[in-house]
Amino acid sequence: MADTGIYLYAVTLDLDVPHLDVKGVANRPVRTIIQAELVAYVSEVPLDQFGEEPLRRSMEDLDWLGETARGHHRVVAAVAEHTPTAPIRLVTVYSGDDQVRRLLDQRHDDFVQVLSQIAGRVEWGVKAYVHPTEDQPTPTAREPAAPAAAGAGTAYLKRRQAGLRSREDAWRDASEQAQRIHHALTALAVASHLHRPQDPQLSGRSDWMILNGAYLVDEPRSAEFAAALDGLRGPGVDLQLTGPWAPYSFAELDAEAPP
Amino acid sequence: MENARTPRLRIETDTEAVERDLSRLVLTLVELIRQLVERQCVRRMEQGDLSDEQVETLGLTLMRLEDAMHELCERFGLSPSDLNLDLGPLGTLLPQD
Repeated sequence: MADTGIYLYAVTLDLDVPHLDVKGVANRPVRTIIQAELVAYVSEVPLDQFGEEPLRRSMEDLDWLGETARGHHRVVAAVAEHTPTAPIRLVTVYSGDDQVRRLLDQRHDDFVQVLSQIAGRVEWGVKAYVHPTEDQPTPTAREPAAPAAAGAGTAYLKRRQAGLRSREDAWRDASEQAQRIHHALTALAVASHLHRPQDPQLSGRSDWMILNGAYLVDEPRSAEFAAALDGLRGPGVDLQLTGPWAPYSFAELDAEAPP
Repeated sequence: MENARTPRLRIETDTEAVERDLSRLVLTLVELIRQLVERQCVRRMEQGDLSDEQVETLGLTLMRLEDAMHELCERFGLSPSDLNLDLGPLGTLLPQD
């Protein structure tokens, strides 16, 4: 037992426990721990990858992280298909079944409350991008003969000023646009959450991400939500809808190890 | 998902690479300071606490510095985007154009 830990994916109520046929992280089988009317979905994982110290190194390895995130999501998605599911944060590892049972006991009320909030609802992700330079006239073009008497140095600084200003304007426009989109979508959602815009290296795009939002929507209203999003599309802004997801952004409890 | 990005940062130890990286780092810092000074000049020009003469002198100086940076970059075979550092969650050191 000493060299394996218990990897926790998700918690649900014990009303309807699905039989899961998916492999979890590190290709491990998934089993359940039932305690206090709650079900925890777990895998046994090797501590040489998932122990505290090795994790610090593993998390820097994007390939490993991607693989692990996919495994995590596979299990959460499979459970969420059957029953309202509270996903647990990626790479939450406990020392053994007992520790998981203690968690379910101690946080019982929190889990029940979260699960009742997300029942019958799904999470949609919305990302908005703008291309910062597209419709901005580039101020780098040499100005036609600097205004009377002013020398080359003054002209240079004026050009810089124009460049900086158009940049700031573009930023301001973009964030106002993001606010507008966020408000319109929030009106249709039960809850919303703004995530930090992603690193361009992860999204593989060089344009600005101006919005990275998550919206908890009543399942029957999903089509309405998608239609509203389409209504917000316009020139210069690229909107991306992802989902439906298990409500990662709304059901994550800080499953701290109980003392 | 497959791309050429190396998952970990490596420190190369052969002399040539070290020299190139070191000059790149120095140029990056010089460029950062140049841009900061430039912004400060623009701001003070906007506030109107510089005389026309001062604006002209500062503008000329900054312009020459920019030219000098271009020359240095060429000599070391660097492009302006090479002078940028990715600071992770803080974004990039210099604004991206």
